[in-house]
Amino acid sequence: MNKLKEIFGGDTRQFGMIFALVFLIVLFQVLTDGLTLDPGNVINIFQGNSYILVMAIGMVLVIIAGHIDLSVGSVAAFAGIVVAIAMRDWGIPWPVGILLGLAIGALVGAWQGFWVAVVGIPAFIVTLAGMLIFRGANQYVGKSNTVPVGEGFQTIGAGYLPEVGPNTGYNNLTVLIGILVCAAIIGGTLRNRRNQAKIGAELEDGMVMWIRLALISVAILAVAMLMASGRPGTSLPISALILGALVLLYGFISTRTIIGRHIYAVGGNRHAAELSGVRSKRVNFLVMMNMSILASLAGMMFVARSNASGPFDGVGWELDAIAAVFIGGAAVTGGVGTVVGAVIGGLVMAVLNNGLQLLGVGADMTQIIKGLVLLTAVAFDVYNKSQGRRSLTGLMMQNFGGRATKETAETVKQES
Amino acid sequence: MRSLTKLMAVTAVAALAVTGCGRADDTSTSGSGSSASGGSGSGGFAGDSLIGVSLPQKTSENWVLAEQLFKDDLGKAGFKADVQFANGGVGEQQNQIQSMVTKGAKVIVIGAIDGAQLGTQVKAAKDAGATVIAYDRLIKNTDAVDYYVAYDNFKVGVLQGNALLEGMAAKKPSGPYNIELFAGSPDDANAQVFFDGAMSVLKPKIDDGTLKVTSGQTAFNQAVTQGWKAENAQKRMDTLLSASYSSAALDGVLSPNDTLARAIITSVKAAGKPVPVVTGQDSEVESVKSIMAGEQYSTINKDTRNLVAETIKMVQALQKGEKPTVNDDKSYNNGVKVVPANLLVPVIVTKANAKEAYANDPTLSKLTQ
Repeated sequence: MNKLKEIFGGDTRQFGMIFALVFLIVLFQVLTDGLTLDPGNVINIFQGNSYILVMAIGMVLVIIAGHIDLSVGSVAAFAGIVVAIAMRDWGIPWPVGILLGLAIGALVGAWQGFWVAVVGIPAFIVTLAGMLIFRGANQYVGKSNTVPVGEGFQTIGAGYLPEVGPNTGYNNLTVLIGILVCAAIIGGTLRNRRNQAKIGAELEDGMVMWIRLALISVAILAVAMLMASGRPGTSLPISALILGALVLLYGFISTRTIIGRHIYAVGGNRHAAELSGVRSKRVNFLVMMNMSILASLAGMMFVARSNASGPFDGVGWELDAIAAVFIGGAAVTGGVGTVVGAVIGGLVMAVLNNGLQLLGVGADMTQIIKGLVLLTAVAFDVYNKSQGRRSLTGLMMQNFGGRATKETAETVKQES
Repeated sequence: MRSLTKLMAVTAVAALAVTGCGRADDTSTSGSGSSASGGSGSGGFAGDSLIGVSLPQKTSENWVLAEQLFKDDLGKAGFKADVQFANGGVGEQQNQIQSMVTKGAKVIVIGAIDGAQLGTQVKAAKDAGATVIAYDRLIKNTDAVDYYVAYDNFKVGVLQGNALLEGMAAKKPSGPYNIELFAGSPDDANAQVFFDGAMSVLKPKIDDGTLKVTSGQTAFNQAVTQGWKAENAQKRMDTLLSASYSSAALDGVLSPNDTLARAIITSVKAAGKPVPVVTGQDSEVESVKSIMAGEQYSTINKDTRNLVAETIKMVQALQKGEKPTVNDDKSYNNGVKVVPANLLVPVIVTKANAKEAYANDPTLSKLTQ
């Protein structure tokens, strides 16, 4: 069992979530007579949830830093309507439209970051205000109308990779990307291991590493081949490609860069971090700003998928993103969580949603089941912690506040 | 070097694990996905096929009734029905439609939350060979919608216009009459159609001087009521009354639906003016009461039972490979194509005919005794 845990990264929560995801997929695959892993359905799951997962990436950083962002849905809707109107009325080309959307996200983020980091108002309040402000701004700018967007823009939400090369029965580019990602992961792991060997660090068991790499590769290639074998004209959706790139980028930033480690430090214990020379204001500002940029991107991806920006885009998205982050193993107290975990958490919700829809379970029951899953996942987390050193009440008293002990992903790893 | 062999071994294992799931044969999708106008009326399909029905939020009695009717009657007709509500908004409705496509639904009936935001999904449905029927609300900016079934909304407007004229003539035998115009929300495609229908009756009378819009606000964008919200209509009526009717008498108001009609009446009463002739639509319980009490003049009855029955008839025709009934193939341009429409005739209801009109409705028939 310990070997198994090591293979999946040693983190009990992440280990649990990956198994929950696999379990759900197998369960629904059986219950729906194989429809769950139908290529078209796998493509749908990614295309229909990429925008939520993109926001979950930003949200996990916000939550690690000990904050929360309730405004993401409204910010997404605001960026979406401005971009749609700019493209329709000013005739700007769609790539410029995307840049404009990201710039709006940065501006909005700077506004929220200012109140959180500089003025020191809790993010809960700032973003609650932002939720109202930017929802209103969306309806003011768009006059509560639905504004259609052109075909070029639609690629970021509804587009597919082109068909190139010989007819292999698969979408060649999708397969190629799958192979490249596997190669990159294997190469990266090996280089890491060489570096560790060079500095004489304790090395992971070779067997464990290879089994993990094999499993990851099989999973990635299986998904790639599935998506490549869908209806001609479909492939790995562009939105999933954007998501994948962001996971790699933010996975790297959060674990390998100074600013990334500072986010964990500030969320774990702000005072200790400040005393160690971390500029916590700067970290908080950047985290809030980054969230709004990703929310704008998510909003544009949704508009692209919907072919139009509407007055009710983004309603309730903040809850989906926050749920994904907590299911993915982040702690409400800050300092704990991973980008990959949040995306896996989001995928658990996505597969659950999709499976229940395929089974024809009504919207009412679906909501009840999703709520129970969220509660169970976090209860599991709380139980784990209370086994260690902390009472349930103690945890709850410290919600959204600073924590006495710093607990990063590493310390969890060492425990198990 | 050792690691390189291992690398190759891993890749080989991975590749082995996923072979055998190549792309589905091209022929499986061709033939059924014709996107020509008129839809895929060729082959028909099995009598026990899956029919998907995607409805918007569970917000009004009409939709709840529609859900029940679709479930029961599609089942009775031998189909497998998958009826779902999208309480979570447009994103949820998109995913639901995609799931119905995955499940192989032959016909997908869509009551859109926002008709302009489903292009990608109906295209996927079309590509998979399903026929798409827009129910009650037209799906816009896509060529992948096959049919539209709804009450004739232009006719609704015409009936409202006529009712307004008749109501005022009954109160005051000869004109000129002072009237004001209200329209629905600009983000609802139907709002413009209602207004155009009513203006087709009223415009000639305005031009010849029989009717006088005292405020001068006769254009759609001047008359709109954002979000169909009662408070917006009430505010606009307050403004109109204080600006234009301090001395003049107000004879009639064109209101596109019952909620707005009641808001308008509230505003007029608050200003201490006699209640003018006010039209409506939807047969809401409160408005039927108001009509029986002699305040609101008219409403429109669009029985959900008939609309669902007509939709199921279309599904049955498609199943047999026949062309479903279409009675208007010119009016409903969705921005990309003209969608063939099967329009039902709405019924105007005033105090005079309320009893007959609601005879089949268990709730409303009690109010008209």
